[in-house]
Amino acid sequence: MKIDVDWGLCESNGVCMGIIPEVFQLGDDDMLTVLQTEVTPENEADLREAVRQCPRQAISFIE
Amino acid sequence: MTKPKVVFDPFSAEYFENPFDIYRRMREDAPLYYDEKEDFYALTRHEDVAAAFKDFEGFSSARGCDLAMVRKGDVPQRSIIFMDPPDHRHMRSLLNKAFTPRAIQSQKETVIELIDKYLSEADPDNFDVVQDFSGPFPVEVITRMAGVPEEYRQQVRHWIDTSLHHEPGQIEISETAMQANIDTAMYYFTLIQQRREDPQDDMISRLIAAEIPTEEGPTRQLDDIEITGFATLLGGAGAETVTKLLGTAAVTFARNPEQWQKLLDDRGKIPAAVEELLRYEGPVQYNVRYTLKEVRVSGGVIPAGKPVFLCGAAANRDSEAFTDADVFDIDRDRSEAQNLGLGYGIHSCLGAALARMESAIALDKLLDFMPRYEVIWDGLQRVNMQNVAGYHHVPVKVLR
Repeated sequence: MKIDVDWGLCESNGVCMGIIPEVFQLGDDDMLTVLQTEVTPENEADLREAVRQCPRQAISFIE
Repeated sequence: MTKPKVVFDPFSAEYFENPFDIYRRMREDAPLYYDEKEDFYALTRHEDVAAAFKDFEGFSSARGCDLAMVRKGDVPQRSIIFMDPPDHRHMRSLLNKAFTPRAIQSQKETVIELIDKYLSEADPDNFDVVQDFSGPFPVEVITRMAGVPEEYRQQVRHWIDTSLHHEPGQIEISETAMQANIDTAMYYFTLIQQRREDPQDDMISRLIAAEIPTEEGPTRQLDDIEITGFATLLGGAGAETVTKLLGTAAVTFARNPEQWQKLLDDRGKIPAAVEELLRYEGPVQYNVRYTLKEVRVSGGVIPAGKPVFLCGAAANRDSEAFTDADVFDIDRDRSEAQNLGLGYGIHSCLGAALARMESAIALDKLLDFMPRYEVIWDGLQRVNMQNVAGYHHVPVKVLR
């Protein structure tokens, strides 16, 4: 399973970065970078939280 | 004995006065509320409202977002809150970069200056939180960003108030409200012509220059009506919401003085307080959607082609989602459930970061201005408005 960001939806609110900065990083240009797309047993709980809390529902899991 | 059937009349005086008892009964007894007389549905449980906000394919905004509009099906103007994808995405992308938490930092000095200005003019013995403070300042910030010259900024606020006002029992828009909408549109139309001639560094000029994709392929520019719709929305959504959040905040903290004390002791809790205010009694009560297909919710099935009230304010008090949901607690665990105070999904508040910043700075300054205060309870006056709740008058006495 991987993490996927819909760039048409993302509005750089940075909620995901607040939850798991190891995966989501907001640059100085306000662009989000996904540092690691792989879902692992260690990061899965935080990633689910990031998916849920994204106010834009821009993050999802893909197979 | 059977319980009397809960009645949700979003235009009644009883509802304006206290919607929360009605919401509780709906969540418990009528999770899929149906109003036979007016032929609409309403959702109040957190799981249902959150899911519906996410499901733009089932719950459309394209017919508008209040009952009168959705029933008629002809939206008064092209505006992002009355659109579904892909139109919605194109239009929203024109301005969303101006509202990111980072971009909004550029407005911080303006917000502080304006707040200081209004509080320095305020009389601590005769202070109305809404009339003297939370009414005038937010509209200045957003209309300034839009490009409205200073002398017209307060006028924009009075038009918004008139256009949203409903008498108890009134569903359709009144003539006075319609006139305010026309005056607003005429004003922005004239301003757009001036900006076409002489562009400035403001949002209206940016919208004039913007290009959006079309179905046929080549891009096009926005017309005057589209820009007017955008400007009207910014002035409305970007002003009276913070006005109401802060008015309600003064009332809520007066009823929960130990929470105000927490802020006096630790200003670091202000951002959490803003979130809790948005959850406990945020300004937006509901958004109306229109079902494009049959939708299954926890209380049953909604047929296609029906207006549905998504009551975010009710969902934010759902005890299935939040522990002690009716308790105002700025220290609560915010990870329990999604706070729907700023919406959720594609139509979630574009100005969320600005709203949070304005509210946080305002609370910080109010803590200095009125560390101890009493609300003059018999002077409280609620607004009767379409889908926003709050107060028109919150007189307080600052204690020394």
